[in-house]
Amino acid sequence: MLLLLFKRKLSGFLNRISRLTRWEISKNLMFFGAGLAMLSALYFAFIRVLRYLESVEVIGPALSWKLASMVLLMTFAMVVISSIIISMTTLYYSYDLKFLFTQPINLRLIFTDKAVETVFYSSWTLILVLLPFVIALGKVKSLGIGFYLFYLVLTVPFVMIASSFGIIFSMLVMYAFPSSRTRDITWILGSLSASFVYMFFRFSKPEKLIRPDTLEVVAQYVRYIQAPTAEYLPSWWLTKAMMGWAGGNIKIFFVYTALLFSAAALIYGAVYCLSGFVYMRGFSGAQGTGKFKGKNSLCFEQKLVKKGFPFPDIATLAWKDRKLFARDARYWSQIILIAALIAVYLFSIKNLPLDSASIKSMVCFLNIGVAGFVVAAIGLRFTFPSISLENNNYWIIKSAPITLKRIMLEKLVVSAVPSLLIGVMLVSLSNKLLNADLFISILSLATIIIASVVISIMGIGLGAFFPDFRLENIHQIESSYGGFIYMACCMGYLSLVVALEAWPVQMHFAKIFGRANAWDFKAVAFCGVLFILLNLASAVIPWKLGLKNLEKHEIL
Amino acid sequence: MIKIQNLTKIFGSYKAVNNLNLEIGPGEIFGFIGPNGAGKTTTVKILSGILKPDGGKVSVAGHDIVEESIQAKKNLAYIPDEPFIYPKLTGFEFLRFIGDIYSMPHQYQMRKIPELLEMFELSGYGGELLESYSHGMKQKLLIASVILRKPKVVLFDEPTVGLDPKSIRKFKDILFEISKGGAAVFMCTHILEMAEELCARVGIIYEGRLIAVGSLDELREKSPAAGNSNKSLEEIFFELTNIPL
Repeated sequence: MLLLLFKRKLSGFLNRISRLTRWEISKNLMFFGAGLAMLSALYFAFIRVLRYLESVEVIGPALSWKLASMVLLMTFAMVVISSIIISMTTLYYSYDLKFLFTQPINLRLIFTDKAVETVFYSSWTLILVLLPFVIALGKVKSLGIGFYLFYLVLTVPFVMIASSFGIIFSMLVMYAFPSSRTRDITWILGSLSASFVYMFFRFSKPEKLIRPDTLEVVAQYVRYIQAPTAEYLPSWWLTKAMMGWAGGNIKIFFVYTALLFSAAALIYGAVYCLSGFVYMRGFSGAQGTGKFKGKNSLCFEQKLVKKGFPFPDIATLAWKDRKLFARDARYWSQIILIAALIAVYLFSIKNLPLDSASIKSMVCFLNIGVAGFVVAAIGLRFTFPSISLENNNYWIIKSAPITLKRIMLEKLVVSAVPSLLIGVMLVSLSNKLLNADLFISILSLATIIIASVVISIMGIGLGAFFPDFRLENIHQIESSYGGFIYMACCMGYLSLVVALEAWPVQMHFAKIFGRANAWDFKAVAFCGVLFILLNLASAVIPWKLGLKNLEKHEIL
Repeated sequence: MIKIQNLTKIFGSYKAVNNLNLEIGPGEIFGFIGPNGAGKTTTVKILSGILKPDGGKVSVAGHDIVEESIQAKKNLAYIPDEPFIYPKLTGFEFLRFIGDIYSMPHQYQMRKIPELLEMFELSGYGGELLESYSHGMKQKLLIASVILRKPKVVLFDEPTVGLDPKSIRKFKDILFEISKGGAAVFMCTHILEMAEELCARVGIIYEGRLIAVGSLDELREKSPAAGNSNKSLEEIFFELTNIPL
């Protein structure tokens, strides 16, 4: 029966593959190529880092393994967090569960099917991103193909154990509190944990491991480096098994391999038995909805309209979107992650090892690109999906007397304001932390204001160009082809912005360093015109493309 | 009120609607029937402006649905077969949203919305999120939203799915009220008894083509085995479509 359940997934996958159009095939190939390029870049970066670590006298090989154990520990933690969020959906809210529960299928088998789904979705991206590191490690340490094969085999119990945390957590929490509100709380906890792990990792200053000026300090801690990293966790068992294989110590390899497999078997055996008693109660509770009592009083936007706000349609869509956002923990809990991202960003800026005032100002200029990237990344979570988030309800506004242009405009206003605030905050605080000079401060602030608006327009435009009104959760659209194109466009735009401003900035520094007639105003005007054209094109083209596509889009 | 001229809609190589011509006047309840995949929902979606025609013209309350879509949409209300509505809004908020989008005056909304919730026995649920509503409750809320906006044209696609017997009865009364008010009602349905009971005229669509249109008596005349004046719409439907039982 379990095989039959797996077969239906395989058939669905194969059907999708066989029905791909030429455009979809080329789109996927492009996506695949870009992903491969990114993984290759990661591989070369890891090769450099690992070669450098290996070259350190005495402690070099230990440093590489220490890094490996830390990376595996991080991966383990991320899979755990990911499984907490994903298991709640797969185990209790999958669209096919209502069908499966009415079929003559053993409850434990349905649970196993959904547990396998959880393990897969919680870990596949993280395992993929880890691959360049493992390949680089094998290459640097000159390990053969067997190392990679055993690594792949050992990854299975490793991710199974990591995901079991989320599966057990969801199962017990839904058993104790069988309500749809539990899902909201889990999402918030998931975001909080991810933020914590991210900040913990960054605040521990991992760059110390590879910075030459701190190597003396590291050398004093050889014992610390050789000590296990969380020895009771599977990340360390996997590291030890890999070390055992690499060092030819077959006994160690087998001991830790056995440990990984037996722990996975034990946990899943126990969870399988437990599921028979607790799964049904949780599933049944999840079908209900939490009690909510809304007020019938006028909200802020409606009061504005009453006072004569000239765009009542935009105000109406805005209050609707605001309420939907505030009431869905899946969306607003991401703000926690963004707060962590901003904290880490400012921490990194503060800890940059810069001493000269000019270099600090130069970094503030280059910071435009990094702050713009953060704004784009936030846009990927909030601005880009905003059209698609209309989802199945899109028919309501599509059949209403409101133009698509106005709908896009409302989405733009609602998402551009927070993006703008975050961009301005990042740049102004960075400028303050690094004591940027007045010219750079004004230039960077003005640029980030324009860039934040343009990036938001791009987000709405491309979001309308690649809409997906059938998505089950927001993460689907972030990792979609359209999301990738949006990020690529933002990166291209920001690179051009920095490149165009580099010339005037160069003149500014030439002036500081005492060069007479450093400013060439014709060149500045030329850069200014190009800057205006770039921004116009970056805003108008995606907007028009998106609008045109949305006008063509039909609800089938 | 509704004028459809040579309407054609093609999906790939499949003609979902093939050269459809229809006119529905003010105050008329028009039933649109046909087997699954005949083109009923496609037609109603084109009328509502969420699908674009590949050929022909559609005008709603005197406005072309493509060229003057905003004016046309101001005058129409559409209820799809599946009541997808914002799950995180309350029933009251949803009606306010519809009222605001259709520019209904504030005072009117504040008076009418509680009345409508009462009428559909949703008063106790007005402050609850729509995700907690049953299919039937959502359907009732959508029907309430139609009354709220006072449209000239109403498009229903399987409007009674999920409604309990009492609500179906109420729906029928409401339909008559709407038509008495002068609105044209275009209703797709599989429930032939209901079409027979409510509709002044019925159109039968089969494989994208309108194969017959008229009052029940006119359809009886058109059916191949004409003559029996007691023939039900169901019998006429099977005779005209030649669908083997």
